Amino acid sequence: MKLIKAQRLDLYRDMVRIRTFENGVRQLTSEGKIGHVSLSGGGEAVAAAVSAHLSAGDQIGSTHRPLGHLVAKGCSLKHMLAEIAGKATGTNRGKGGAYHIFCPEVGALGANGIVGGSVPMCAGYALANQLRANGKVAVSYFGEGASNQGGVQETLNLAACWKLPLVFVCENSSPVVQTMLGHEIDYPQLSIEDVSLRALAYGMPGSSHPGWDVEEVYTVVGEAVKRARDGEGPTLLEFKVHRVEGEESQHCPIRCYRERLMNEGVLTEKLDQEIRDQEAAAVKEAVDFAVGSPEPELVDAYRGIFAEGS
Amino acid sequence: MREITFAEAVNEAQRFAMRENPEVILFGENVSSGWRAATKGLKEEFGRERVRDAPITETAFIGAGVGAAVVGMRPIVELMLVDFGLVAMDQILNQMAKTTYMTGGNVNVPMVLRAIYGAGGGNAATHSESLYGIYAHMPGMKVAVPATPYDAKGLLLTAIRDSNPVVFFEHRLLYSARGPVPEEPYTVPFGVANLVREGRDVTVVAVGKMVQEAVKAADELKGKVSVEVLDPRTLVPLDEEAILRSLQKTGRLVVVDEDYERCGFSAEVAAVAAEKGFRSLKAPVARVANPNVPIPFNRGLERYVLPDAEKIVRAIRSVVK
Repeated sequence: MKLIKAQRLDLYRDMVRIRTFENGVRQLTSEGKIGHVSLSGGGEAVAAAVSAHLSAGDQIGSTHRPLGHLVAKGCSLKHMLAEIAGKATGTNRGKGGAYHIFCPEVGALGANGIVGGSVPMCAGYALANQLRANGKVAVSYFGEGASNQGGVQETLNLAACWKLPLVFVCENSSPVVQTMLGHEIDYPQLSIEDVSLRALAYGMPGSSHPGWDVEEVYTVVGEAVKRARDGEGPTLLEFKVHRVEGEESQHCPIRCYRERLMNEGVLTEKLDQEIRDQEAAAVKEAVDFAVGSPEPELVDAYRGIFAEGS
Repeated sequence: MREITFAEAVNEAQRFAMRENPEVILFGENVSSGWRAATKGLKEEFGRERVRDAPITETAFIGAGVGAAVVGMRPIVELMLVDFGLVAMDQILNQMAKTTYMTGGNVNVPMVLRAIYGAGGGNAATHSESLYGIYAHMPGMKVAVPATPYDAKGLLLTAIRDSNPVVFFEHRLLYSARGPVPEEPYTVPFGVANLVREGRDVTVVAVGKMVQEAVKAADELKGKVSVEVLDPRTLVPLDEEAILRSLQKTGRLVVVDEDYERCGFSAEVAAVAAEKGFRSLKAPVARVANPNVPIPFNRGLERYVLPDAEKIVRAIRSVVK
C-alpha cells in the first residue's frame, strides 16, 4: 500500500503521541502521583499502523499494556490520564484504572486486566459486525504470553469457524530471549519461534513481521483488515516488538521511522520538533487535567453495579 | 388455559423475543438441532446466522456473547450444563459480571446466559450441579431460577429485555414438567417472590425444582402443620421483604436448596432472617441443602445427599415441635 506524505507524517505523529503520553505516565509514577502502569514502549508502530486502518466504528480489544492501542484509537488523553489517576473525570469514573479503560465512543473496548481476557469478547464485536452487515471489523491485541491461553486458542478457532471479521494482532515482546514480566524464564512459554504458525492449525492466514517497521505493519494489517471487511474471515498477525524506553535502540520504531522520513525528505528537524512540542503540550494539558480533577464521591462505590435505571 | 412443558415455555419466550427484536441472537452447543426442545425450530424461523452452533469452547462463545452485548446486541447464550460454565469462569465472572461497573457505566452487558442445571438424573458431579450460589455471590449478575413453565416464560422474557447480565437456570428434570402458560407474551418481574402455598406455622423458602419438593412436603403435613411455601424466583435481586413478611406470620423458617449448603443461597436467606427478622423467629432456622458433597453417581447415594420432600418434612418437624 502506497502511503502519501500526510499519511506517513500521521503515522509518525501517532507514534510520538503514544511515547510522549507514556513518558508523562512514567513521570507521574516516579513522582508518586499514580501507581505503576505497564507501558508499551517499542510497540508504537503496531498501535499506530493498526489504527490507521480503523474508524471509530471499528472495535479493538486490548491488554494490560493498553495505552498505545488506546491513544492510537483516539481515546481522550485527558480522560485516560484522569482514569489512570483514579479520578471522577476518568474514562471509567475511576472504577477501572489503566488496565480497564473503555472508550466506546471511539471503539476502544477496551483494556483488560486478565491476560487474554479481551480476546473472546472481540469475537463478539466481530459477530455483531457480521450480523449487522455494517462492514466494520474488530482487532484483538494480545501478547505472546496470552497466545497460550485457552481462551485465545478457542477464539482463533471460533473466529475461523464463524468466518468473523476479526484481525488477531499478537505483539511478541520476547523476540530474542523468552521472558515473562521482563525477566528471563527457565522454561520457555512458547514451544515455537513464531506465534503466527498457529494460524495454520485454525485454518486462517498468519504471518510474522518486525514490529518496529511501521510501514510494513501498515501494509500487512491493511491486507488483513481488507480480508475481514470483505467477509473472508480472520487473520493472525504476529509482530516482534522490543520493549524500549528511549530512542537509542535500533528497534525503536520512532527512531527507525524518523531516520527514514528524514532520509527521504519527508521530515525535517524543524517539523519533528514542532510535532514533539505539540504532543508534549497535549500531554501536559492531560496531566494538568488529571491532577486537578476531583476524586470520586465515596458513595460512587455503590453506584453502577447494574446498568442505570435497572 | 393450555398447558405446555417448561422447555416449550423457554422456547416460546426466545421465539417471541427474537421476533420482537432483531438484535436478539442465540448461540451455544447444538442449539440448531431439533432434538433439543428449548431451542427446537428457532433456527428454522430465524436462520442459521441468528441461531448458531458454537464449537465446544465455552470460554470463546460466552466471551463472544459478552462482546456482542457490549456493542448493544442481546445475545442469549446457552450453557448445555451449568457445570460446563466452570471452564469459562474468566469470561463469566470477570468480564460479563464486572464490565458495567469497571467501565463506570460506559457500557452495559445485556446478555442472558441460559444454564441447564440440576441433579436427580444419576449423572455424577460434573453433570448435576446447581451452582447458582456462585453467580449470586459475585456482584454484577442477576440470577433467575424458575420453578414452573409459567415463570420460565415470563422470567426469561424479563431477562432478555434486561440491560444487565442474567444467568437463567433451567432444571433438566423440570424440562418435561407441564403447566398452564398463556399463549401471548408476558413478563414476570425480577425480585418478586411467588407465594406458592399459604400457611401459618412455618415458612419454607425454595427455588427451582425444590419448590415441587416443598409443596409435596406441605401436602404430606396437611392437617398437622400449616406450611407456607415461598418461591423467590430470583436470587438476585432477592425479595427479602416477602421472606420477612412470611416470617412475621409463621415465626419459623426452613430453607431448601439443591445447591451446596456452605456460603450459598440457603445461608443467605438464613442471614436475612437472622439480621432483619430475628424478632420474628420462634425457632432456629433449618436448612435442607446439599451437605457440601460432590453429587455421587450412584442413584442411592445421590438420593441420600439431595434434598427431597421427606427431608423437608423432617426439617419442618424439627422447627415446629
